[in-house]
Amino acid sequence: MADPNPSDSRILRIWDSFKSRIPEIWSSISVPVVAVIISLLIGAIILLISGSNPLRAYGALLEGALGDAGGIRRTLEKATPLIFSGLAVAFAFKAGLFNIGAQGQLIFGALVASIVGFGISGIPAIIHVPLALIAGATAGALYGAIPGALRTFTGAHEVITTIMLNYIALNITDYLANGPLKDPTPGNIVARTPKIFDSAVIPDLPFIEWLPLGFVVACLMASITWWLLWRTTLGYEIRTVGQNPNAARYAGMRVAQTVILTMVISGLLAGLGGAVETQGIVYRFQPGFNVNLGFDGITIALLGKTSPFGVIPAALLVGAMRAGASQMQFRADVATEIIDVIQAIILFLVAADMIIRWIIRQRAAAGDGISLSSGWGSNS
Amino acid sequence: MKKLFFSTAVMVLAMIFIVACGGGEESAAEGDCSSEEVFCVGLVTDVGQIDDKSFNQSAWEGVQAAEAELGAQIDFVETKDATDYLANIDLFVEQNYDVIVTVGFALGEATAEAAAANPDIKFIGVDQFQVEPVGNLAGLIFNEDKAGYLAGALAAMLSDSGTIAAVLGTDLVPPVVAFKEGYEAGALSINPDINLISTYHPGGLDVAFTDPEWGASTAAQAMDQGADVIFGAGGITGNGALIEVAGSEGTFCIGVDTDQWETVPEAQPCLVSSAMKLITPGVLGLVTQAQEGSFPSGNFFGEVGLADFHEFDDQVSQDIKDTLSDIETGLGDGSISTGYSP
Repeated sequence: MADPNPSDSRILRIWDSFKSRIPEIWSSISVPVVAVIISLLIGAIILLISGSNPLRAYGALLEGALGDAGGIRRTLEKATPLIFSGLAVAFAFKAGLFNIGAQGQLIFGALVASIVGFGISGIPAIIHVPLALIAGATAGALYGAIPGALRTFTGAHEVITTIMLNYIALNITDYLANGPLKDPTPGNIVARTPKIFDSAVIPDLPFIEWLPLGFVVACLMASITWWLLWRTTLGYEIRTVGQNPNAARYAGMRVAQTVILTMVISGLLAGLGGAVETQGIVYRFQPGFNVNLGFDGITIALLGKTSPFGVIPAALLVGAMRAGASQMQFRADVATEIIDVIQAIILFLVAADMIIRWIIRQRAAAGDGISLSSGWGSNS
Repeated sequence: MKKLFFSTAVMVLAMIFIVACGGGEESAAEGDCSSEEVFCVGLVTDVGQIDDKSFNQSAWEGVQAAEAELGAQIDFVETKDATDYLANIDLFVEQNYDVIVTVGFALGEATAEAAAANPDIKFIGVDQFQVEPVGNLAGLIFNEDKAGYLAGALAAMLSDSGTIAAVLGTDLVPPVVAFKEGYEAGALSINPDINLISTYHPGGLDVAFTDPEWGASTAAQAMDQGADVIFGAGGITGNGALIEVAGSEGTFCIGVDTDQWETVPEAQPCLVSSAMKLITPGVLGLVTQAQEGSFPSGNFFGEVGLADFHEFDDQVSQDIKDTLSDIETGLGDGSISTGYSP
């Protein structure tokens, strides 16, 4: 009864607890934020040296990315596949696995979603859209299972196997798109599958023109991934395996199963990203599209500090830069390569920090045998 | 922690300072493309650079010629991501450009869509075959097989060993297939017993045209097998083959698309000619027709041919030159067929 205004004090308490967490929050986002600022600064210097006006260039970039509903939609559309591939890489990272294969898993997801999209007709969108999405996600999951199984049963390092599997995926999908699955439309000479039926196209949300539904799905998957990692037994096992597989084994966890399952879920996320790209943006599978989306996932995961919710702002940042790049070239006559430069510097700064911390952790862990994240050929 | 805050703040201030210093002068006011008097021509590249010494550059040179000859106001946008084709075309549409040139068969669908939505704007699609002609869209296409046929005939006549090779970009791209089929048919027309080594790049679209190391090693392999004339058709991959051949005495190479004597000077020691698609005059011609109001729709065939022999002129005998000009005539009037159909 001493407190005359209980609701005020509750707000104060929340504010206090928030305030007490500011240093913690800052310490987790400081590196990426500083990296972005330094990179934009270096980008501005490069623009100045090359005789452009950085203010105009960044202004046009911003306008192209966020200037109107169309720009915002473009930004969100660019960010969507990056969220998926970023989640895929970040998720595997939690188990100490470096999934370089998101690209292969993503294009298989994109291809299989397109097959379901153009191969099945006469079913309503409410069934067709999720069916194709699930098919794409499943394809990615199965393709992700391969390096997981190879890692578990033969000890083949997932970095090597996923890189090789990327080439296999690339060539198989190229072959299919230019061979058995080639668009038979008269006069078509392009290697691509037929267009998916309208019933498989991810519909727009009513009234909210600037918000692609695929982006909503991506954010939903980020939440689910977070929940899986931090609120379930499986997530606990995955994180334990990532931190110390020996301890996990000693505690009675099935490390082999966890590794495979992690790669399956990682592949599922990448495959779903490919499916969303096919059903929301490209409307068919075509070689030359989806290029690098999976590899960009590594950038996004690092920039997002391998946190499911960190992946979203990271993808939005990169997505916005890409969405505005054309506008920047058109209005300010600046070569779009400057975007790649800025992005590379961001990644370099963030990764350098991660590498340093990783080395510190490895040093600390040295002597206690194998660790899944201990890199090249050190598997017992 | 305070230190971090401080350094961040300093950096933000420094950035604002730099940006502010850069501000100020604005570029000269440009004409309004929506007015009758101002004739605006925009170009959208395929994924790649405007100065790629090949395709995009040739088309852009055609647009630049339109600036010089027709007084057009011109601009370009480089595509970085294949999902941006339509968005990049729309940048010009929003500014009411009169003519929009899109480069590469991959932009065909987006170009057709934009042409249907904007009937007042003329579209030129380089390398885009038109199945159903749209009134305001002309596809500038080339008979690559004919250019390849000429190159193959030249290669067969120059070869002493009876073995010739082709180092090619991916068969995912139809013009590359046309070059290869024409090349082989042309060579066989001169020497039915000739030994042909044609190799496509095994990778996907993202690497097939940008892999000079593969081009070089494939060319070296072909030379090991006795090839003494090598045709490099596949962007930077093909250029890698040309440069490799240039380092080997007594072997000829043939370039592709443009006169590569100019674009790949490193290949000059072996470069006897190039199988050219005359993109620049084709684009200029169509832009001119657009301005004059006689814009054609459907497919418009640009010219193909062999580039100048440059310093190899005295090594190519008059007999060979006569045969080539006969073949060119034959290909033109249809009495010679390359046997290629897409």
